Amino acid sequence: MLQRMLIDKIENRILVGVVSFVGIMVLVGWVAINESARMQSFERQYLARSVERGAELYASNCATCHGTDGLGIGGQGPALNSPHMFGFDYFAEFVTERTLLEQEEQQLNNELDDLREELVSGDINEERRAEILERRDAINERITGDDGIRQQIAMIDEEMLTLADQLLPASDNEYPIRITADGEVQYTADRLAQVSWSGTLYDYVFTTLVHGRPTSISYWGSPGNEVQMVAWSQRAGGPLRDDQIDDLTNFILNWDRGDDWTIEDALAVRQYAIVPGIGGDVEVTGEPAGTDVAAILQTIADEGIRGDVARGEALYNNRQTSELGARLGCSGCHTGGVAGPATVDTWDATLELRLNDPALAGYTAEEYIIESIVLPQDYIVEGWGANMPGGFGQSMSIQDIVDVSLYLRSYSDADHSDGVMQPADG
Amino acid sequence: MSIIPVPPFLEDIRRKGLKRATFEGVDNVVERVTAGMNVQDIREALRGEAPSRRPNPRLQPHADSFWLHMRPSYFHRDMTGLYPTFRLGWLSTYFVFFETLTGIFLMIWYTPSPDVAYANMLNIMSGVPMGQLVRDLHRLGAEAMVLIVVLHMLRTFFTGSYKKPRQFTWFTGMILLVATGFLSFSGYLLPWDQLALWAVTIGASMVEAAPPEVVGENLNLLLRGGPDIGANGLLRFYLLHVLAVPAILFIFTGVHYYKVIIHGHSLPPQKENIGEDTAKRVPLDKRVYFIPDALTSEMMWIGVTTFILVLLCIWFFHAPLESHADPQVTPMGTTAPWYFLWIQGALKLGDKVLWGIIFPTVVLVVFMIIPYIDANPSRRYADRRFALSAMFVVMSSMTVLSYMGLPEYGVASSADEEIFYALTHEPAHNKMGYILPIPFEQLAPGMYTTCQFQQCELADGQSGSDGIAALNEELQDSALGRSVLATMTGTGNPVTAQMTAPRFRAVPSSSPQLESVLNQFAGMVDAADDELFSGWGAIVITEAQNNLRRVDVLIVFEEGTLDENGDLVRVTNEDGSPSYLVREAHIFIHRDSAYFQ
Repeated sequence: MLQRMLIDKIENRILVGVVSFVGIMVLVGWVAINESARMQSFERQYLARSVERGAELYASNCATCHGTDGLGIGGQGPALNSPHMFGFDYFAEFVTERTLLEQEEQQLNNELDDLREELVSGDINEERRAEILERRDAINERITGDDGIRQQIAMIDEEMLTLADQLLPASDNEYPIRITADGEVQYTADRLAQVSWSGTLYDYVFTTLVHGRPTSISYWGSPGNEVQMVAWSQRAGGPLRDDQIDDLTNFILNWDRGDDWTIEDALAVRQYAIVPGIGGDVEVTGEPAGTDVAAILQTIADEGIRGDVARGEALYNNRQTSELGARLGCSGCHTGGVAGPATVDTWDATLELRLNDPALAGYTAEEYIIESIVLPQDYIVEGWGANMPGGFGQSMSIQDIVDVSLYLRSYSDADHSDGVMQPADG
Repeated sequence: MSIIPVPPFLEDIRRKGLKRATFEGVDNVVERVTAGMNVQDIREALRGEAPSRRPNPRLQPHADSFWLHMRPSYFHRDMTGLYPTFRLGWLSTYFVFFETLTGIFLMIWYTPSPDVAYANMLNIMSGVPMGQLVRDLHRLGAEAMVLIVVLHMLRTFFTGSYKKPRQFTWFTGMILLVATGFLSFSGYLLPWDQLALWAVTIGASMVEAAPPEVVGENLNLLLRGGPDIGANGLLRFYLLHVLAVPAILFIFTGVHYYKVIIHGHSLPPQKENIGEDTAKRVPLDKRVYFIPDALTSEMMWIGVTTFILVLLCIWFFHAPLESHADPQVTPMGTTAPWYFLWIQGALKLGDKVLWGIIFPTVVLVVFMIIPYIDANPSRRYADRRFALSAMFVVMSSMTVLSYMGLPEYGVASSADEEIFYALTHEPAHNKMGYILPIPFEQLAPGMYTTCQFQQCELADGQSGSDGIAALNEELQDSALGRSVLATMTGTGNPVTAQMTAPRFRAVPSSSPQLESVLNQFAGMVDAADDELFSGWGAIVITEAQNNLRRVDVLIVFEEGTLDENGDLVRVTNEDGSPSYLVREAHIFIHRDSAYFQ
């Protein structure tokens, strides 16, 4: 039967063939119509499965430092599952509202200035004058009256303070928020802003996974048990392929709660990112020394300030912050006499060479060293450029200066018993 | 006479009028394009009428055009039916072109590098319009081509068409068969997914077994481009797939077809006297002309076949794409493609060299030289009892060997591993773990145990809610209960870390599929009672992230061995209580993963 239908009669062959070709066109057309929806759904499905694989990779590679729930582990690794990571700004509405009100006030003040000018020019009739005065009163009412701009701002500030008070416990875990003595709320809502990252969060996470954080070992973990974010990509010497890095990134980004982050979420985080060196909670325990060398020497003598060579060494080599919370980084340049004069013979060179320079007649070694720290540009040794930054008078206390100076002096064998500066241990 | 040369067509219009001149112009163009047939001739041919002018214009294209000069102008009527050819040769040829066209489309979107090949696949699936369809067509076409070429070979064998004078035609056909198989196989590696890497690793390791050792080692190095398949291996397989093997295929397709035409299509065996071959001498009254009969038939077969392929690729077949190739992770149940399963099956018989290399080579060589060793001149079925029986034996053996090549046959793995695999394995070979296709809504967070369906010893042989309650009681404040939780916590489950004792509950009625899987799970644990002594299982579902749930699968059983009487020799703790082993596997399931589709 089939034989007769399909093979024998030419018109049947043509019919079957034409129907088939038309059928193909219809099917392909049908696919084409649905193609964009299908491609989107494939992408969604693929992303979902990527998150699943990322979850597995996270559990076996990342959870030991960042926590199985991504909330971080104190001192070991920062939270990835945190509002800070995703740049959720708890104060966003307040800040917007406040900014709008401030702008309005600014505009109204400008208008007031214009009106005042018009008024004093005297070149107006009575009608206009009354109009201006009426407008002036209205503006003043808007700014300072009941429920005026000033009051609204004050209310917003109050609300911000209340919210900041709730969030403040998170700052114990390095959430970057604080309330200043004047009641101002200072915070950085966004991790990307904190590290000045201009790309997307995806790029930030991806690149951190690829390359790691080579310096993280200096501020994570505990002494003897330092931990480091290593490079995870095979490209950078790690164990994972880039598609796995992609899976991990997708998993980490899946923690985002969009606009639904709550205060509880912020408080649940066990450890926020630590910002090394600058920022964080700066502990200020001393006063800036200033740049008046004579006054500094006088204070040392009057108050009998004594120094600590070991602390001076730590300050000098960037292992400790100054009493004003700054890292000095002296040894960055003053090493081996390449970028700046060498550390080891600074004091002896001062005694033997500098003080014999007529330009420095009457200087003591202490005076010279202190001046070199707080006013580095006043005297440049021949052969060196004017490269040393200023501002140490602001970032160091007198105690810091004494400690660092004594550390420098500890390399010298000369007799210093007659000096103003003396180490605490004799 | 005008000084501007008037084109002949305008001249025609002036002399004959617009209508007639246009018709004649069209006629003229058609006749040139078809190399001999004008509109009227085509119309007559398609209507099945005899040609109205002499010489027969339907023979003209065979004489004048390039493409049709390769085709005979007429065939013997006895071989134009469905039998004896079944159109298998024509379809094989069609698939060569079909695969080339779809392959070129895919090549545009593909870079043979392990860094991007898999991403290219994803792009073809999600970023290239019609990309998935073309990939499916290319893949299904490749499988169909292997099937059709094999059927073509079998048909040729059964009708005895390989016999004198067509021995060499058969020989080239065998080369085409091997080339087809290798083309299909070399394409396997290109997506750079797990399926690709491991199927090809198995294939390439056979090459390594080739004796003597120095040859095998170096062949393997040449093929893989290194000790393992990596960037070099992928590039080599790619070049083989798109350049070297197609070149061989095209050349031998030419030789093969040339031989077919030279000798004519052999007639059905019973139509010929023994030892005769009259295919080239077709009496006038037995002639069926290429135009229009064979041509319409061929076009129809292409149309029908393509239609079926497209239909299958839209609703029934999608080319598999497993997870990214990972040389560190050997998937369970790796298989060669189906047409190489017989070799994989043979490998299980013993020696790698004998069964992996020598045996397939001998099979191939014997097939190739069949026409030269088969001295029986008769093509009739009745005279070829031995040859036909031998072929049936070979076919049966191949089927059995192929079955043995399946992962289900003779895999030695522990019962708990097998169960974990059955429940959780990611999609591979178009199958997946039972848990994956459960709709996300039905994966209600909670702890569920097979003791709901099983008579667990720990639950005093009860099942249902009584069994669950008894089990919870048993695990309260017990070392085993803590160990169950610790096993999950140890693999990074933050939820179980907060718990003090397992709290199992019955599967909610809103999760019928989860319930059914748990029931199957109970059955599997019960069935493995000779390994998993007093075993029971659990499925623990916890929230992992937004729209992401973690599913832990646990199997708990008593530690021990069976003595020669089949009795359990328990391993006990210091206090004399039975020692339990807790095994765990887990997967994550996202709401949008849509495994059930």
